[in-house]
Amino acid sequence: MASQCCPARITLDEWTRRYARLRADGLSEPGYGGPLERHVDDGDSRLLGLKFDNSPAALRLWNLLLTEEARLHEARARGATIVGVMKDLGTAAMVAWSIPNVVAFYPDGAWWTPCLTEQNSRVLAIADSLGLDESFCPVRAMVGAFVNGEHFPIPDLLVCSAGAVCDDFSAIAQRLEALGHPIVWWEMPRRRRPDPGEPAIELPGGGTAPAEQVRIVEAELRRIGRIMADAAGASLTEANLVEGIRRANRVRACLRELRDLVFLADPCPMPALEILIAEMLAIHYCSDYDESLAVIEGLLTETKRRVAAGLGVLEPGAARIFWVNPVADLRVMNIVEDIGGRICGTDYMILHAIDAIPEDVLPWQALARTALADPLVGSASDRAERICRDAVRYHAQAVVVSRIPGASHCATEGAAIRELLRDRLGIPVIEIEVPSITDAVEAGLRTRLQALVEAARRERA
Amino acid sequence: MITCGIDAGSRAIKIVLFDAQRQAVLAAGAADQGVQQDRLARQLYERLLAEAGIAHEQVTARAATGYGRNIISFAERTITEITCHAVGVHHVWPEARTLVDIGGQDSKVVRLGADGAVEDFAMNDRCAAGTGRFLEVMAQRLELRLDELGDIAARSTQPAVISSMCVVFAETEIIGLLAAGADPADIVAGVQASIVRRVAAMAGRQVCPPVAFTGGGALVSGMDRALAAALEQPVRVVPAPRMTGALGAAILAAR
Repeated sequence: MASQCCPARITLDEWTRRYARLRADGLSEPGYGGPLERHVDDGDSRLLGLKFDNSPAALRLWNLLLTEEARLHEARARGATIVGVMKDLGTAAMVAWSIPNVVAFYPDGAWWTPCLTEQNSRVLAIADSLGLDESFCPVRAMVGAFVNGEHFPIPDLLVCSAGAVCDDFSAIAQRLEALGHPIVWWEMPRRRRPDPGEPAIELPGGGTAPAEQVRIVEAELRRIGRIMADAAGASLTEANLVEGIRRANRVRACLRELRDLVFLADPCPMPALEILIAEMLAIHYCSDYDESLAVIEGLLTETKRRVAAGLGVLEPGAARIFWVNPVADLRVMNIVEDIGGRICGTDYMILHAIDAIPEDVLPWQALARTALADPLVGSASDRAERICRDAVRYHAQAVVVSRIPGASHCATEGAAIRELLRDRLGIPVIEIEVPSITDAVEAGLRTRLQALVEAARRERA
Repeated sequence: MITCGIDAGSRAIKIVLFDAQRQAVLAAGAADQGVQQDRLARQLYERLLAEAGIAHEQVTARAATGYGRNIISFAERTITEITCHAVGVHHVWPEARTLVDIGGQDSKVVRLGADGAVEDFAMNDRCAAGTGRFLEVMAQRLELRLDELGDIAARSTQPAVISSMCVVFAETEIIGLLAAGADPADIVAGVQASIVRRVAAMAGRQVCPPVAFTGGGALVSGMDRALAAALEQPVRVVPAPRMTGALGAAILAAR
């Protein structure tokens, strides 16, 4: 059967031919399914330069990702309340999704749009014209998308964390509000280590925070929960929230199992690009919880099949690279694999959206603990500690810290991560900067990544 | 077994023919880089073979490195210049634990293991301010040859402060200094200090002595002194520093 063919990374053209064969074989798809090339016709021309996994499970993943805007417009048409949650990446969205008839999404994820559409959608050009030039991180694309209205519908309510957030993001969000989009701000304190003798609370992922900070965040989440429920004309009960957490944990557990399987198996059973997209589903379900869960379960089933059969998308023994921060240009994930590397662990700034939300404590406190586990609200050295632990767990031979142009956290965290990993593990660590479109710098990026693969291989030998 | 290493750099193509049994360089040469990189490299290769009296079939393996490595059609392998410089330096100076390579359009700092393996590296990725291109631009503006820079810099009594992070802006800064009557010797010394400062910043804690200096930048007189001052430790320019990448490629071609 075409759906059971050998795993491979294939181009969009190859997917077109494969799709025809799969359909002829009776491939069944959800309503948003269809051939990938139609998204190029919609303007996602960047897809032409990518290599994709050839499984029907990956096809479903890509189709879910690339139809999100349409889903949001459908939600608006059916009368759902649309909440735009910003910055916290994973927690406020869980609150929103727990309220009946509310759909939540992260407008700051609009930077995924230019990475897939080159400059066609003009969201970056609009941001430029509003004074948010390339000295700001690619999240500035969000402002362009609000202004031209060509992507997602304008949310009924905007909620954004403030305090322990990147300077550049804060400036972008404030600019958005100044353009006439009111924002409900909620306070996220900078996570600190508890003082000696100070009551401390464990966080998902292994850290701790002072109990006082957990109480502050809990109160803030309760406040925005009430505001979201009022906006939707609904109530948010603890039972709703418990159910929302349970559902979130189903997605997260599935993702953790998928990550462990993919990161530890050799040969690598699923490409880095698909795992990156799958991880992103955890923060807001790509505007459809049931389909997100089904897509991740589909990837997990396919991965298990491949692992059981000893099949992979890459040659066995590829250099094992741990990757820090998501890339603005998805092609870079292909390049790593083209030159003999594989991703064996990640910190895409959303680990707190993949860790299990505690279910043995009251739900508001559980969410507060989760929000405080965000790698970006604590110190760079805390983040480096977790990366170090995960790099050991996944047997990383090298680490790439991928800088996001203009992102203020990237100015300082690279050195902290690099030095800790060098001292503790003695493995090579490089920092690279990945712009929204890498075409002009691809040769240099390839050289750095290839040299890292060569260094990792030599170390292993 | 004779092998060939081709370093297709941004400013020049360098080729080394290497006897793997005797671990000796049989021939080495360089040519200016141009548009038709593969043709220029092949011409240089043919010339070196002829001059050394080596037949084509005697060369059993060829590896290409440098920015143009993927264009060299007669090489069977490509290897990055980072790995090749490491192997090349280890061949000529096995005790070296750090290498600094200042090339035409990039600079790199590589930490070496006892066996010459790359343990870690850093490379400039934002601008040309820490590279040989900066020296070229400045020499052109001051109407000097690159080989004159060291002697002129040695006459400096008060090196100029070049603060721009970008070569284009730095050139404007140099124009301003000239207009203000600054001594060219101070400008040259200031530019050299600016380049090595950036390299030292990139190196961070990677510098383990002894330090080898390679690449075309090492041929510019005065740069070794400036680099040693910035790193606060002695620096040794390896023999034929411009050929180090090609030498490493030739050695690796044999493995």
